[in-house]
Amino acid sequence: MIRNHPDADLLVEYSAGTMDIAPMISVTTHLQFCDSCRRAVGPLSSVGGEMLEHADGVAVSEGLLDKVLACLDEPGSPDQEPQSSADVVDDVADVLPSYLRQFLPVGNLAWRSLSPSLKVAPIGIGEKVHELALHRIKVGGKVPEHNHKGSEITVVLKGSFSDEDGVYQEGDFIVREAGDVHQPIAAKNEECICLSVLAAPIKLTGIKRLLNPLLTFSPG
Amino acid sequence: MKNPDTMKIRFYSEKPGELMSSGEDWNGYLEKVGQSQDKQAFAALFTHFSPLLKAFLMKSGGQNSATVEELVQETWIKVWRKAPHFSSKQGSASTWIYTIARNTRIDSIRAQARRNPDMLHAEDIYADNDHAAPHERLVQFRDKRNVTDALKALPPEQSEVLAMMYFQGKSGQQVAEALNLPLGTVKSRVRLALAKLKVALPDQMAATRNNGASDND
Repeated sequence: MIRNHPDADLLVEYSAGTMDIAPMISVTTHLQFCDSCRRAVGPLSSVGGEMLEHADGVAVSEGLLDKVLACLDEPGSPDQEPQSSADVVDDVADVLPSYLRQFLPVGNLAWRSLSPSLKVAPIGIGEKVHELALHRIKVGGKVPEHNHKGSEITVVLKGSFSDEDGVYQEGDFIVREAGDVHQPIAAKNEECICLSVLAAPIKLTGIKRLLNPLLTFSPG
Repeated sequence: MKNPDTMKIRFYSEKPGELMSSGEDWNGYLEKVGQSQDKQAFAALFTHFSPLLKAFLMKSGGQNSATVEELVQETWIKVWRKAPHFSSKQGSASTWIYTIARNTRIDSIRAQARRNPDMLHAEDIYADNDHAAPHERLVQFRDKRNVTDALKALPPEQSEVLAMMYFQGKSGQQVAEALNLPLGTVKSRVRLALAKLKVALPDQMAATRNNGASDND
């Protein structure tokens, strides 16, 4: 049962298309798991349609229709199906929503160990403001306590983890704001794989801050 | 750029009898385009929706008139190519055209920011919306009428926020800055508006931590 969902304003930003691409991917990924948010997003796009219908129109140039008509008969590029990186050989690929696979690099993901329990693989999507990555916490593993300099969105893809505030299961959408300190721990029976969208570097607290240089921010 | 209040006023000043795009059957036209590449139907849609699309793309993108018309043009070419996928059972023509224009706008903003030929397209990211179960689409369609009426009945401060997000392409944070309000107030106005639009959100929403909302609206 999914208990953590995007706030209403995030769903509206998603529907209105005013979000950066990495958070947008995190919302779509949550929608893959969450029927109730998917049902909310449907009527939301008709809000956009309504706004369009009631807009104060601005006249377009006279020749525009002819220009468009002239383009219609050109053999345009046919609708392309999103490429699926079927040749992702990483074992993680099997547990990801198929939607997410199209964003993965071909071949193995570049996993880096950030601590004995946590591995991170960045997903390059050409965005400068956020870092999109997969996080993998090993069975029962503890992530070093850290606080956030910027907000972080986490969507649980497989397994579960807990922190001071609760237990998060597959599909849960969790937002941590700048200044929040927490220490995620994976469940004891299964490793935990999450999608993470980071807006700025996170900072380890306490003795583990020595590990800090490992947590580099690498959008792209 | 026009005052955001424009949108608000439009919703309130609508005269009876001026409802729903003069009663034209835009859904039917769009289906004709999809089923039989009907250029007359296409031209009728073009004539009606182009000024609306131009207004939308101007406000949300802030480009000059020439660039905006290129985006209008790009939107129509996509409408033509994708029209076979449109079905009025799944939603209205205006919503369908809006989403294509929205995706065109997102991609153009991203293309300006970074010349990346391999970049992801907005329609790939929204693709999952197209896989909603048929009964969900039906609910979505029936909701359209309700959304029309409920939008008109929203308190001005709530419809203003929605108009700024949908029509001016602003994030919640940008709306807060433009109106000089705390983000929490914007978030709570959105939540209240969606409740009035009968967009059912999961129960957890109201109790989400970290929203810092001051629910004083």
